Amino acid sequence: MPTIEVQRQLLPILDSPNQGARFYNPELPSSEPFVPGHRTCAGCGPSIQYRMTNKAAGDNTILVGPTGCMYVANSSYLCTPYNVPWAHTQIGSAGSFTAGVAAAYEAMIRKGKWQGAFPNIICEAGDGSASDIGLASISGALYRNHDCLIICYDNEQYANTGIQASSRTPYGGMTTFSPPGPLVPEAKTLFPKDLARMMAAGHPHCYVATASVGYPIDLMNKVRKGLNHKGAAYIMIYTPCQKGFVYETPRSIDLGRLVVECGLYPIWEWNPEKREFDYSFRPQNMRPVSEYLKLQGRFGHLHAEHIAKLQKFANEQWRMMNVQLPEALIQAADAKNLVNMASAVQAEQVAQTL
Amino acid sequence: MPTATEVKKRTVRINGCVAAAQAAKYADVDVITAYPIRPYTATMMALAQMVANGELDAEYIVADSEHSQLSIAHGASSSGARVFTGSSGVGVQFAYELYSPISGSRMPVQMMIADRTLDPPGDFGSEHTDALSTRDMGWLMGWSCDAQEAFDNHLMAYRIGEDRRVLLPQMVCQDGFFVSHITSDVELPDTGQVKEFLPPYKHPYPLDPRHPVSHGPQIMPEQGPPLQLERARAMEESMAIIEEVHDEFAKIFGRRYDPWVEEFMTDGADVVFFMQGGHAVTARFAIQHMRDQGLKVGLVRLRTIRPYPTDRVNEILSKFKVVGVIETNMGLGSVSSGGVLYAEVCAALYESQKRPLVLSFMAGMGGEAIVLKEFYWMAQKMADAQKRGKIEKRTHWVGFEE
Amino acid sequence: MSTKGTKIPERLMIPFAGITPAPTQKGQDLFPTGNWRSIRPVYRDKLPPCNNACGTNEKIQGYLDLVKRGKYLDAYALIKEDMPFPSVTGRVCYHPCEQACNRGKYDEAISIRAVERFLGDLGQALKRDVVKPGTPNGKKVAVIGSGPAGHSAAYQLARLGYQVTILEKSAKAGGLNRGGIPDWVLPQNILDREIERLVELGITIKTNCEVGKDVSWDDLKKNYDACVLAVGLTEPNSAKAEGENKEGVVYGLPFLRDIGMGTSKVKLGARVAVIGGGNTAIDCAREALRQGAVEVTMITVEAHPQEMPASPEDLHDMVEEGVELLHGRAMTAALGNGRIEALQLHPARFSGAINASPINVDRQAPAERFAVDNVIIAVGQRASLGWLPDEFKNERGTIKMDRFGRLGDTNFFAAGDIAQVGSGQPLMVVNAVGDGKRVAFNLDKVMRGQALEPRTIPVDVIFDLNRMNMTYFPHFPRVQQNMLPPSTRKKTQDEVIQAFSEEQAVEEAGRCFSCGTCNACDNCYLVCPEPCIVRDVRSNGLYKILVDYCKGCRVCIEECPTGCLEGVPELDFDTGVVRMDTAFAVSPGLHGRQAEELRNLADRGAKSI
Repeated sequence: MPTIEVQRQLLPILDSPNQGARFYNPELPSSEPFVPGHRTCAGCGPSIQYRMTNKAAGDNTILVGPTGCMYVANSSYLCTPYNVPWAHTQIGSAGSFTAGVAAAYEAMIRKGKWQGAFPNIICEAGDGSASDIGLASISGALYRNHDCLIICYDNEQYANTGIQASSRTPYGGMTTFSPPGPLVPEAKTLFPKDLARMMAAGHPHCYVATASVGYPIDLMNKVRKGLNHKGAAYIMIYTPCQKGFVYETPRSIDLGRLVVECGLYPIWEWNPEKREFDYSFRPQNMRPVSEYLKLQGRFGHLHAEHIAKLQKFANEQWRMMNVQLPEALIQAADAKNLVNMASAVQAEQVAQTL
Repeated sequence: MPTATEVKKRTVRINGCVAAAQAAKYADVDVITAYPIRPYTATMMALAQMVANGELDAEYIVADSEHSQLSIAHGASSSGARVFTGSSGVGVQFAYELYSPISGSRMPVQMMIADRTLDPPGDFGSEHTDALSTRDMGWLMGWSCDAQEAFDNHLMAYRIGEDRRVLLPQMVCQDGFFVSHITSDVELPDTGQVKEFLPPYKHPYPLDPRHPVSHGPQIMPEQGPPLQLERARAMEESMAIIEEVHDEFAKIFGRRYDPWVEEFMTDGADVVFFMQGGHAVTARFAIQHMRDQGLKVGLVRLRTIRPYPTDRVNEILSKFKVVGVIETNMGLGSVSSGGVLYAEVCAALYESQKRPLVLSFMAGMGGEAIVLKEFYWMAQKMADAQKRGKIEKRTHWVGFEE
Repeated sequence: MSTKGTKIPERLMIPFAGITPAPTQKGQDLFPTGNWRSIRPVYRDKLPPCNNACGTNEKIQGYLDLVKRGKYLDAYALIKEDMPFPSVTGRVCYHPCEQACNRGKYDEAISIRAVERFLGDLGQALKRDVVKPGTPNGKKVAVIGSGPAGHSAAYQLARLGYQVTILEKSAKAGGLNRGGIPDWVLPQNILDREIERLVELGITIKTNCEVGKDVSWDDLKKNYDACVLAVGLTEPNSAKAEGENKEGVVYGLPFLRDIGMGTSKVKLGARVAVIGGGNTAIDCAREALRQGAVEVTMITVEAHPQEMPASPEDLHDMVEEGVELLHGRAMTAALGNGRIEALQLHPARFSGAINASPINVDRQAPAERFAVDNVIIAVGQRASLGWLPDEFKNERGTIKMDRFGRLGDTNFFAAGDIAQVGSGQPLMVVNAVGDGKRVAFNLDKVMRGQALEPRTIPVDVIFDLNRMNMTYFPHFPRVQQNMLPPSTRKKTQDEVIQAFSEEQAVEEAGRCFSCGTCNACDNCYLVCPEPCIVRDVRSNGLYKILVDYCKGCRVCIEECPTGCLEGVPELDFDTGVVRMDTAFAVSPGLHGRQAEELRNLADRGAKSI
């Protein structure tokens, strides 16, 4: 039997919403694969990401939902808000179920058992799945280069089970498995895995990137780049969780911007053709980490020394991004200086435009 | 990549692993997921070569673990592809999380299991415990006793599992080494016969962007019971189709198997062995010999253990005086403090007016062959029990008792 | 068979293997999560400060938004709803809008006047204007005066369907636009084109027709159904100095007017002084330079430039051109033999509020002698109302009218400087235009027998940047218009300030925040987690929030750059109202229906992808 060549979709990249001084989002695709009526929390960051990802992908898409909030909260109870095919899989099966779908479509199209352009296959794995239990399956899928996109919606904890620490929970992040106490004043002593970098370093033939809901068009463009890439792609997206982070719900997007402006979540891309990191993304401002931490209840127990440690970590991220560090941020990495910066007014004055 | 061209019927000398691979090739599977673990690996090695040679057009995926293997299989089957996977021993258990989801989501994944003793420690020898430990997860399950039966069972399993009225995954099991690695003559059909017997796989609700559906959304507790009821019903209703398919197979391929049990020299027998799997081949020789000696002994070989043919087992075993269940598996702390087959046999016989004596034998453990001498010893035990009118104890450890 | 004889009740029916069909908005119900919220977002356009500050309430935010999108013609049409001559105000207006612009607090105000000029000039280039006269209603209206107020009133009345005749006492129409504004600010041909547009609307303009001379009050009453008196303040105020009647003493507005009409006979000497600190004085000083004066000095009572009521930009341009400033003095006499040779100056200051109180001249101090060839006195104007019946004159020397501009219960209305003088409103072209427009609408109401009502709608003008989201607006400097170099300016009557190119206009309009007003940026649409903000066409007013699903997270409100979205409380916790029956508020019959839909799924046609 003659084999049929598999046709793949090519999605156009959206223009930036910043055209000179004017802020105006580019023409967005009209399809809406993710619809309202789901039981996620109000202001849910992963939900925001889910919607943007779906909008970027369009209707010729299959979604894979490993266990997590984007499974349970979205699909309770037997009501599913997806206008495209969606399947639940085990929390540890994120990469492998996705690989199965991709392999099935390669075979079915090639053998003439299914007609059409190769669908977008997107796995939406939480950080608990992507960084812990499903790490091996995702690595396998990336290594084997199945034509799919694996998204880690990073809310830095196991949220669906009631907020427990994952290997993405930041230093100092309170969860029910890492509560603060006299023996552990910072609550969480471990720094998180550098998950996206692991994926880039370990699978250099894949498109890998980080993104944040604070920059929606950038997020959607990365999703499209990942889908257009012939082979596996991986995007880790910062998606704040109101329940775990404890902040006022309207701030979901704002936190997505602040975390980048404080250097705690660098936005970069790995270019699989050139085999190099692209660190050119620059947020509008550069702020001390306290600007970000102070908005969230999960950091409310931190002392100056802990904040200084986080500032040091952030400074290292800035250095990695080739950004010159202002003196104030270098000072802030020392707990002694932070006491002076305790006032919000002083902290605000550090913010400088990049 | 070109697929196999029309192939004529022929006989080859192959082992059980290769027979399974051949069956997958005839079934024109679309996705194969492999992960090495002895002794089933040989199936996957054979398939790798077939794919590389262009004899079979399929996506051959070397997974990163058995859990991933089964997840890939789940994903591929959900998308509408015919899937083949397999494992042995602890590998079967590594994938445990997936068994209920796959059967509950009604995906007809096929898994070849060349069974192997479970750790600890490493032991490559055959025991049925690996597959049996998953027997309540909703998969169709049964053992072949030789390579030909393995080949035939694999084809029938696809036909049964993919039937719209069934849609259940299948574990087609065979004894590690005794079936998987011993060669024998296997008649391979011509592709025309397979085409006639096995239609293409078509799930009613696959993951297809043209007909979007959601698989497996979260339910409320009150929705749990109806779902479980439906799963039980699927398993029960599969029995009629299993019988249908065995008839069709006989018509097309000329080999007739009883779907549930195979009786060997049971006419007029007082005592029978009840077992599954490859040691039945040795059993037949032993029984032949014992019959020549005048002992009225026979063999009932269980071909399908899930769904358990309760009524059939009840009907058949009621004819005899003593049933000796040969357990090539471990049921630690079980009701017989031996294996797991005993309890199901007793439960099947419980309602019977004429209940035989039932005892079990732990034999063939760890991959050891059950030698003729051991069959004679077991038969003697059964004859003694018949004479006594009661059993000595429920479980005998063959080779460790007088 | 254990399942023999079992039956699943209707309410627990589940689809095959729990596989659910995809939702459509009309088919399968999803959860009505709208009952979770306590605050609901609503779109509420606030009044931008520019629209609010404009004397004629042009929809400035609206036309800037249209320019951003390249819809110049629509933008021009939007201005024309409230302003008849944007190419004039685009040159002459003192832009209270720019003073009020919120961007001024952030980096630099939007150069609104320049964009208006770009659009006005674009409109002038059209063969046929976008504005059409209204369906004729058979009524005739006379408009006395063709200055900004009269022009505006006549324009609006023609659009309402009236047959309008403008009576202008000068030889050329235009009023202050013609005679009070120099050519290097407003070239004659630009104004001519605007007057042409009036004629294209069917308005008759009779020049050389003065009320009180060529036409009487009774003529007006007899020949017209209504009349708008937009006569302006035509008489210059005296400096209250001795010898003002000497030769070489001229008054500011007549000086400019005669030059504007082309009838000037004034020949300026080398040394010229200008008395006054307002905009007219500045125009006179700069015009003097162009008329041949070599040394021009402006003499003001105001002690500092900041106290002068003049536009700071014009003051700056004037100083750039070489005019000297002399502060804190009043002219007490014009010295000379029949012809002025020098000014006598005494120290002076305002007795109270600057420009609003009598001037205290210190005649005890030694007098200064300031040699001049000419002096131009520009200390304000007053009305000439000889032709007005006494019953309509008030004690301030202007027209007695009610707050709607109506004279008693007649069909006579007054508009412009004549109506606004002494009201506290600065006397500017744009304020006159606004007054003329409002008076036209009031007149129309009276003609149709409708009651005149004061405006009672509360208006929310958005001044506070905290009501908007400034993270979407990085700092960008104002686009500057090119100007002629100061040294060459006085050699010509060419326009000093030059026009924006199309790119510049779009770039500058792009800096507009669109304060409090939706400009369809799509941000709310993009960031909603549900998503429950829908729209077809991307336009203000066409965004809809699906209240069945909105959980009240308010991310949209937070991320609305313009502050258009607001939160409205819906749930009053004090009353103890419980919104949900149970934590699992499932719609009845949900699962049974899904099972049904799933069974029919195979029969339905494939979705096209």
